[in-house]
Amino acid sequence: MVDQRRQNERSQVTPEIERRCFIQAGLTSAGTALATSVLPSPIVSAAVPPQMTNSGADQIPRRPLGKTGEQVSIIGVGGYHLGTVQSSDLAIRLVQEAVDAGVTFFDNAWEYNDHRSEEWMGLGLQGRRDKVFLMSKVCTHGRDKKVAMQQLEESLKRLGTDHLDLWQIHEVIYENDPDLHFAKGGVVEALDEAKRQGKVRFVGFTGHKSPAIHLKMLAHDYPFDTVQMPLNCFDATYRSFEQQVLPELRRRGIAALGMKSLGGDGQPIQYGVVRAEEALRYAMSLPVATTICGIDSLDVLYQNVGIARGFKPMSTQEMQALRERCRPSSGDGHLELFKTTKKYDGRVGREQHGYPSIAELPL
Amino acid sequence: MNTTRRDFLRVGAGAVAATSAVSANSNEGFSSIASGRSAAAPSGDEGNMIYRRFGRTDVHISAIGVGGHHLGDVPTLDEAVQLVHEAVDAGITFFDNAWEYYNGKTETILGRALRDGRREKVFLMTKVCTHGRSGKLAMQMLEDSLRRYQTDHLDLWQIHGIVYDNDPELAYAKGGVLEAFDRAKKEGKVRFVGFTGHKDPAFHLRMLELGYPFDSVQMPLNPFDASFHSFEKQVLPEVNRRGMAALGMKSMGGTAWGIKAGVVQAEEMLRYAMSLPVTTTICGMDSLDVLHQNLRVVRGFQPMTQSEMEALRARCAPTAADGRFEPYKVSLRYDNPMTRMPHGFPFDHTQREVTEMLEKADGPWLVPETTPETSRR
Repeated sequence: MVDQRRQNERSQVTPEIERRCFIQAGLTSAGTALATSVLPSPIVSAAVPPQMTNSGADQIPRRPLGKTGEQVSIIGVGGYHLGTVQSSDLAIRLVQEAVDAGVTFFDNAWEYNDHRSEEWMGLGLQGRRDKVFLMSKVCTHGRDKKVAMQQLEESLKRLGTDHLDLWQIHEVIYENDPDLHFAKGGVVEALDEAKRQGKVRFVGFTGHKSPAIHLKMLAHDYPFDTVQMPLNCFDATYRSFEQQVLPELRRRGIAALGMKSLGGDGQPIQYGVVRAEEALRYAMSLPVATTICGIDSLDVLYQNVGIARGFKPMSTQEMQALRERCRPSSGDGHLELFKTTKKYDGRVGREQHGYPSIAELPL
Repeated sequence: MNTTRRDFLRVGAGAVAATSAVSANSNEGFSSIASGRSAAAPSGDEGNMIYRRFGRTDVHISAIGVGGHHLGDVPTLDEAVQLVHEAVDAGITFFDNAWEYYNGKTETILGRALRDGRREKVFLMTKVCTHGRSGKLAMQMLEDSLRRYQTDHLDLWQIHGIVYDNDPELAYAKGGVLEAFDRAKKEGKVRFVGFTGHKDPAFHLRMLELGYPFDSVQMPLNPFDASFHSFEKQVLPEVNRRGMAALGMKSMGGTAWGIKAGVVQAEEMLRYAMSLPVTTTICGMDSLDVLHQNLRVVRGFQPMTQSEMEALRARCAPTAADGRFEPYKVSLRYDNPMTRMPHGFPFDHTQREVTEMLEKADGPWLVPETTPETSRR
C-alpha cells in the first residue's frame, strides 16, 4: 500500500534535486570541509584474512581462530535462524548437512527463541559433536555470575554436551554493559570459573550496536579469545566495526567473528544495492576467522556452502569498489537497523535494562 | 499574594550567581532572565511570565513554549484553540511546530488559534522537513506553513530533525535547505533560522562546525540527558559560546518514563530544564491541565541551585546510563514518519500518527521517494 502511494505522489511534489543527487553534491561540494567524517581514510583493506587451509575446490576452507591454535570453517551456522525454521526435523537436517559439508563453526545463545535454538542444535549434533567447534552465549545482561553459571549448565544440557568450545557474553549493546559485566561478581568472573572447571575452552563477547562499546570492553584488557561483531560492506563507511574494532583485535591477536554480512535482514539485497554473494564474499574477505550466517532453509545452506567452497578473497580493489558503491546508501544507517533502532535488541536484554518490550517499542 | 514579575526577576538574577557555574556553560542564557519585555509585546497575564533574550538579538521570548506536536493530540479543534488562547493570554510567546506534524494538522490548528489578533503577540516558529532533499522543496514547504498559519512571515524557521548521521552533510549540500534559508530571509518570509534534533550531540556539533550562522539550536535537555549522549554537556556550551539561542525540549524525557518509574517528578524535571542556560523550554501540552501545571511551575520558578541540579543528575545517572528513559536517542520512536521516509527507514505501524497519515491518500506526507536503492526497485 505504501509503495503504491509512493508511486502516486511523484506528480505532486517534485523537487529539482533528488536525494541521490544531493549525496553526490554533498560529496563533491562539501567534500573538502567534510573530509574527516565523510571520507574515511584508507580502509583496513591492507589487512588480509588469515591463511586458509583445507581449501580444495569441494571443501570449505578453514582459518586459525586467533591465537587459540584452533581452526574453524570460514562460514558458521547462526543459531538464531536455526530456531526459526518450521520443524525440529528441518533444523536437525540443516545441522547435519552443514557438518557433513565441512562447516565446523556453530553459533548459538542461551536466549534464542525461548531456548529452541540450543535444543534443536543439540539434536542435530548428536553423533557429530566432536566434529564441530561449538559456541553459545551467556545472557546475564548485567546480572551476576551465579545467573551466568546457571545458564551455562542449561546451555550444556540443551546442546547435549559437557563442554563448549567457546562461550561469549551476548549482546553487549547498552552503554553501561561493559561496567556491569566487569563489576565485581559479574559475568566476567563466570568466564574465569567456567574455564577453570573445564566447561568452556575459550571466551569472548558479542554485540551489534556500537564500536565504542566494543572498544570499552577491550579496554579492560581481559584475555578474550574472540570478539563477534557486524561486518558488511555498509558497516565499512558507517559507525564502522571494520574500521574501529578490527584493527584493535588484530593488534591484540584476538579472533574476529563476523556477523550480519547481509545487513541483518537482507534488506540491501531486496533493494538491489548489493547481491547476496558479493556481500557475503566481502565479509569473508576481511581479516576474520569466520563469518556467521543465518541459515533457515536448505537453499540458503547450499548457497552459502557453494560460496565458501573454493573461496578466493576479493582483491583490495574489488573491496574498495564495493565500499564506494555502498557508501551513498550507508550514510544514515537505514541498511543497518541493528545499529540505529531497537529492532534487533533482544527481549531479555531489554528487560534487564528496563526497556519496553519489542511489541511496545518495535523500532 | 502573587509574586510580581519584578520579584521574579530579582530571584532569577540572584540565583544566577549561584548557578552559573553549574555546568561550565556560559551564563549568557541566565543573564537574560532579567531582560525585560518580549518584543512581541504580550498582553494579559504576562506579568507572571518570564522572558529571556533570544540569543544575541534584541528579541525576548517566554521561558516556556508550547510544543506543536502535542496540539495534534488534543481531542478537538475547539479545545486546541482554547489551549493556545489561554497560553497566549498567560504571556507565553513561543510557539513551536513542524510542517510534518500530523500531516499538517497542527500548523492548521495554530493558525486558526492565532488568527484573531494573537499572531502579533507571539514568536512563531515552524520547522522545515526536507530531511536531506532540496531547497526548492523547502520553499514549497514554507509556503504551506505560511498558508496554514495564515501569516506572511515566520519569526523562526528551523530545519527539523537532524537525527541521522548524514543529515548535516545533506543540509549543507549544494541546492539544499540552507540555500532556502538564505532566500527566505532575503524575501522577508522568515526572521531567524535554526535547526533541531533529538538524536546525537555529534550531529548537532557537526551542524555548528560546518559554519552556517544559525540563530537558534533546539535539543533535548533534561537530567537524564546530562549523563547519556549529553546535549547539555556537549552542545549547550557551544551554542552559548556562539551566541545562538538554545531551545530546550523533551524536559520530561519525551515519554516521561522516568516519571512513571518514580525516579523523578514532573515539576523538578521542568525546573531542571529551565535552570539550564537556555532561552526557552518547549513543553508538550495536550490538555489545559498540563498548560496550567506548566504555568504554575513558571510562575513560581526559581532556578535550581548548583547542588540541587547535581543531586538530581546523580539520582538519574544510574538509569540514564543505558538510555532507557530517553528512547528518542536510541530508537526510531521519535523520528516522525515523514522524517524516516526520505532516508528509507521503516515506519512504525503501531503509531497513531502513521495510521492517520496512511489513511489519507493525498496528504503532504506524499513526498518524493528518493532513496538510491528504492529507485532501483
